[in-house]
Amino acid sequence: MSKKLVSLLLAALTLLACMPALAESAAVTVTDMHGREITLAEPATRVVAMQPSDCEILCALGCEEALAGIGAYCDYPASITSLPVVQSGAETNIEEILALNPQVVFMNDMGQSEEQVRQLEENGVQVVVSKAADIEGVYYAIRMIGHLMGKDDNAEAIVADMQATFEDIRSKSASEGKTVYFEVSPLQWGLWTAGAGTFMDELASICGLTNAFADVNDWAAVSEEQVIARDPDYIVTIMMYYGEGPTPVEEIMGREGWQDMKAVKNAQVFNASDSNAISRPGPRLKDAAIELYNMINGIADEQSPAA
Amino acid sequence: MKDARMLKRERFTPLTCALLALGLLLTMILCVCVGSVRISFADTVTAVWNALWGLPIPQNIAKNIILNVRLPRVLCVALSGAALSLCGAAMQGLLRNPLADGSTMGVSSGAALGAVIAMATGFTLPGSGYGGIMVTAMAFAFGSLALILSLAFALDRSLATSSIILIGVIYTMFISSVISLIITFASDHTRSLSFWTLGSFSGVNYDQVRLLCLALIVCGFILLRFAPELNAFAIGEDNARHIGVNVKRVKLVILITVSVLIGVCVSISGTVSFVGLVMPHIARMLVGPNHKRLLPASLFSGAIFLLLADLTARTLLSPIELSIGVVTSIVGAAAFVVIFCRTRKGR
Repeated sequence: MSKKLVSLLLAALTLLACMPALAESAAVTVTDMHGREITLAEPATRVVAMQPSDCEILCALGCEEALAGIGAYCDYPASITSLPVVQSGAETNIEEILALNPQVVFMNDMGQSEEQVRQLEENGVQVVVSKAADIEGVYYAIRMIGHLMGKDDNAEAIVADMQATFEDIRSKSASEGKTVYFEVSPLQWGLWTAGAGTFMDELASICGLTNAFADVNDWAAVSEEQVIARDPDYIVTIMMYYGEGPTPVEEIMGREGWQDMKAVKNAQVFNASDSNAISRPGPRLKDAAIELYNMINGIADEQSPAA
Repeated sequence: MKDARMLKRERFTPLTCALLALGLLLTMILCVCVGSVRISFADTVTAVWNALWGLPIPQNIAKNIILNVRLPRVLCVALSGAALSLCGAAMQGLLRNPLADGSTMGVSSGAALGAVIAMATGFTLPGSGYGGIMVTAMAFAFGSLALILSLAFALDRSLATSSIILIGVIYTMFISSVISLIITFASDHTRSLSFWTLGSFSGVNYDQVRLLCLALIVCGFILLRFAPELNAFAIGEDNARHIGVNVKRVKLVILITVSVLIGVCVSISGTVSFVGLVMPHIARMLVGPNHKRLLPASLFSGAIFLLLADLTARTLLSPIELSIGVVTSIVGAAAFVVIFCRTRKGR
C-alpha cells in the first residue's frame, strides 16, 4: 500500500518536474532569413509554403501532411500538386492564405509588401522568410524549417547527406581550369546564361569547373559572339525537351558557327534532366551535382558516386 | 515660299537617296566590324572578302563570329528595318494618318499572337518546321489589320486618325495580355515572352536572311509600284477615285502586302516597335512627301536606324545583351517628340 503510494507520489513529482521542461522544449525559436526572431509555442503542424524550394524542403523533412497550401509554382514532389494553390510573388493574395488557416507561412521577402506581412501576423499567421542565395543558405533554410517543424534530426540528416555528396564530388574533381557555359534560354529566344551567384555556378565549382560567364551576375542575356569567343569546354543546357524536333543538345550541336567550339567538337554538350533541381535552393541540388559530375566525366547514371 | 521649298527638295532628292544608300553601306560595315567580341578591322574585312570570293580564310581569324553570327544578324537587322519602315510609310500614306504603323495599329502584335499560337499548338507546315509560325503570323497580321479597319469604319465612316489609332492601341494592349496568358499556360516558353514583346535578333541565320530578302524584294517592289496611287491617296480618297485609281483594289493590295511583310518580320525578330512609326517621318523631313522618293528614303533610313539600335543593344552592356525593343523605344520616343514639336512649330 505504502509502496504504491510512494511510487504514485514519485510519478507525480516526476511529472511535475518535467512539466516546465516539457513546456520549454515545445517552444521553438529560430532567426529567419530576413533576420527576424521567430518563436512558436510548439512545432508547426499546419503551414503554407509559397516557394517551390520550401515545399521540397518540407517534403524531404517528412512534413508533407503539414502542408495546407502551396504557392503557384510549386510542383515537386508531384503528390503536393493536388493541394490548394495560393498566388505567390507580386500577386500574393492575403485572403487566400488566411482562408487556409495556417500557423506558419514560408515566403520570400521579394514579392510581398510589409503591409501584407503585418496583415498576416495580425491574423495570427506567423510569416517566416526563407531565401537561400547559396548552398550554405540552403543548409540554413533546411535547419530553420526543420526546427520550426520539430524535425531537427531529419534536417541534420538531409544537410549531412548533401554535404557528404558535395565533399565526395569535390574530392574526386581536380580543378583543371576547364570552363562550362550554362544555357538557360536557347538561341531562338536570345541566349541566357547563369552567371556568378547562381546555384549552377556553385555546382560547377564543386565539380572543379569554372563558369565561363563568372563575370556576369545571376541569370543574364549574353551575346552569342561571347559564347563562341569564350569557347567553353562544356555546355550544359537546362532546356526541357518536349518530344518534337531536335533535342536541345542536337540543336546546340547543329548551330551555325558553333561547330568549331571545343564543347561541340568533343561532343561535350549536355542537357540537365531537370531545370528545377539545378536552380532551386532545395535538397535536390545534391542530385543536380551528381548529374553534372556524371555528365562531364562520362559516367552512366548507374555508376553514380555517392548516390 | 512653300512651293520654292518643295522644288528645292525635289531637286535634291536623287542626291539624298544616294547619300542614304552610302550611309547604309557604311553603317553596315561599321556594324559588322564592331561587336561584343573585339575583332580587328583588317581581320573582319579579310574574312568577309575571302568568304565572298570563296577563298580560304586564315585559321587565326574568328571567322565563325564574323560570318555566322555577326553578318547574318546585320543583314537581318538591315532588312527588317527597311521592311518595317517601308510598311510604316505605306500605311501612313494610305490612311493619311501620321501615326499609322504596324505597332500602333496592332498588326505587329496580331502577328506575334499568330506566331505564339502556332508555337503553343505546335502547328507546322509539312516540310518546314518554321513555315507554320510564319504563315499564321502573316494571317493574323492581315486579320488584325482587317479587324481594326472594319471596326474603325463601323464606328466612324470617315476613318479618322484618332479612331483608328485608338482602336489599334486598345487592340494591341488586348493582344499583349492574350499573349501573356497563352505563354503563362504553355509555361515551357516563359522566357520567350520578352522576345515577342520587345524583339530580338539574337541567333538569326542565313535562312532567315534569305527569307526576309525575298519578302522585301517582292513586297517592296509592289509597294514602290503603288507610289503614284499613294500620292493620289494623300490628297484624298475621293480625289484618288476621281483621277481613276481603283481605290478598293489598291487599298486591299497594299494592306495585304504590308501584312505579309510585317508577318515575316515579326516571326523572325518579334515585335520591334517605333521603326515603322518614326523613320518615315524622318525620311519625309529629308526628301519631302512624294511617295516616289519617300518610300525608298524610308527604306534606307529604317535600315540605318535599326542597325544602329541593334549595335547599341549588342555592345552597350557587353557581354550582356539588351533587347532591341528597349533601344528602339527609348530612341524612337525621344525622336518622335522632337519631330512632333518641329512640325508643330513649322506650321
